[in-house]
Amino acid sequence: MGDAGWSVGRLAERGHRMSNPLFNKVLVANRGEIACRIMRTLSQMGIPTVAIYHAAETKARHVQMADKAVEIYGETPVAAHLDMGQIIEIARNLEVDAIHPGYGFLSENANFAAAVADAGMTFIGPDAETIALMGDKISARNFAEKHNVAVAPSVMPTDDLDDFIEKAAGIGYPLLIKAAAGGGGKGMSIVREAAALVEAARVASSEAQRYFGDGRVYAETYVDHPRHIEVQVLGDGKGGAIHLFERECSVQRRFQKIIEEAPAPNLSAELRDEICTSATRLAAAANYKNAGTVEYILGADGRFFFLEMNTRLQVEHPVTEMITGIDLVHAQIEIAAGKGLPLPQSEVRTSGHAVECRICAENPEQDFMPETGVVRHLGVPEAEWLRFENALTHGQKITADFDPMLAKLVAHGPNRDAAIERSIAALGELALLGVKTNIDYLARLINHDAFRAAELHTGFIAQHRDDLAPKALNETERAQILAAAFLGFRQTRDLIVGTPEPHAAIGGWRN
Amino acid sequence: MGFQLILDGEEHDVAIVRRRPHLVLRIDGIEHEFSEIGGPGDGLHALKSGKHPIDFIRASDNERQIIRLGGRTFEVDHIDPFSEGMESGGNKDAVRSPMPGTVVSIQCKEGDTVVRGTPLVTIESMKLQTVLSAMREGTVAEILRVEGETFEKDAIIVMLEPETEKA
Repeated sequence: MGDAGWSVGRLAERGHRMSNPLFNKVLVANRGEIACRIMRTLSQMGIPTVAIYHAAETKARHVQMADKAVEIYGETPVAAHLDMGQIIEIARNLEVDAIHPGYGFLSENANFAAAVADAGMTFIGPDAETIALMGDKISARNFAEKHNVAVAPSVMPTDDLDDFIEKAAGIGYPLLIKAAAGGGGKGMSIVREAAALVEAARVASSEAQRYFGDGRVYAETYVDHPRHIEVQVLGDGKGGAIHLFERECSVQRRFQKIIEEAPAPNLSAELRDEICTSATRLAAAANYKNAGTVEYILGADGRFFFLEMNTRLQVEHPVTEMITGIDLVHAQIEIAAGKGLPLPQSEVRTSGHAVECRICAENPEQDFMPETGVVRHLGVPEAEWLRFENALTHGQKITADFDPMLAKLVAHGPNRDAAIERSIAALGELALLGVKTNIDYLARLINHDAFRAAELHTGFIAQHRDDLAPKALNETERAQILAAAFLGFRQTRDLIVGTPEPHAAIGGWRN
Repeated sequence: MGFQLILDGEEHDVAIVRRRPHLVLRIDGIEHEFSEIGGPGDGLHALKSGKHPIDFIRASDNERQIIRLGGRTFEVDHIDPFSEGMESGGNKDAVRSPMPGTVVSIQCKEGDTVVRGTPLVTIESMKLQTVLSAMREGTVAEILRVEGETFEKDAIIVMLEPETEKA
């Protein structure tokens, strides 16, 4: 299953395997598909791996894959994965010399990066100072502005809400209000008219206070029908930086991406160059070390504004890998080991197009609410142009303990149309039964004329809501499904094949 | 007597009409003949009604069959007439969460008198807070979760006292 044939090790072929591994042992401070994906590259590089797991995930795939797995403890599974002290202690005891944080959990926690360094180990990511600089939306924005990276007109936060409201009203509508310390959509709202501003500011501030213990909010010009474009960068920590081109991540629900692609469609060469160059400029100015992503919003008028910088590997990094042939985890490890950038900018090339679909345990017909269940069947399509990044096992319980993203299906093609066709075919073949997922929804979405025409913006899902609803079944289809189900119950099966004729007519479930 | 199955929230009736030479099922009043019925249990099977076989994947989960057919996945539940009777009694008194999540705060205590719409518990799921309110007038019998506790979809969060016959 799964780790399909895409040339995972193009860079690995260049050297370090077997000879002198860059690290003696690396702990992966994460779980799920990303822990598996990181360990895959570590193993290819001949580096032993350490996994951590909570009691709720003893049989998880990342535990099986690792050379060594250590249990972590916490009130909840997530709390265990966030327990820096415990994780560093484990690493120290096992003589680990580097920690890869993956994404989420501790990956953008400056204190963790600092604690890893203080413990004499290498944090596979940027320095704590850079994480802190980019982790605060305001300091990141000020830094970007200072280095000629376009930022949207905005109002800086103050503790004085009345003052904030007055200034926010001054820059016009629509406005986006965000928590200064926030992320992931919390404390975010769009204000379209003056009348709604006061209440929206108050709500955002109280949500920010509740979630982040920091009630400061800020506001900026809201770009209608914006596209979300982000640039993958690699920095050497000494002012050297390259970009691996951009990704289009506009298709989102609940402010979170569900489909990403690379390169971004319908982007002129000039604009692509301008956006990518500005990302490299930012990374270089920050002496950025390791892999990072600079996010922008792009308006229909071609104006683009800096949103934020993510100081870690992104969920959607495989689309970049598939078009550039560069293994980003490999590059991260080399940079962390002081080997510098994998190649100069002039040698970064792209080939074809890649699309990633995030497979989530959720119900698209119920506002994408998360679902739980048990993996009863897993059938994964395989082809050399496909990657199915996952950590699923048969019988695995899908609970509310962790993020609802279960897997990522990534398809590459010689061009966008081909990548779309391959994605649709693969989604059709992908069978994950036992928990409701968005697989069928994603197939409908990618097959939509507006998606094919790349008429993308962050409101795509809301705009096409009706078109994206499942088609009603006709009578034949319904009969087939009901018959297939009917034949699956042991009781009915017995009636059909196991009991003498007269009893079948009597029927009944309990006898 | 047929079997009641639920597909997409709607009830359907399936009954065996004949078993030989081919299986004939009456589905919502219409007879369908199947020359192939596929193997038992979970996995990839084929069904043949008419000329062309139809491939499907099936997985069972207690009284539910999950069917993937034509690139779409469907959940088909069996209504057990016996347990349904039991359930409906419980259902009237149970305040369930429509999604998995965490209890953020509890706005009621045991013994409280509530009316329809009284907020009982605030839950959070996917960064979204939702208030669970009383679905009818009554008295809070039991609060089954504490603040900070996580739960699965359909978990019972609060129980109301069973409704008594009005005199």
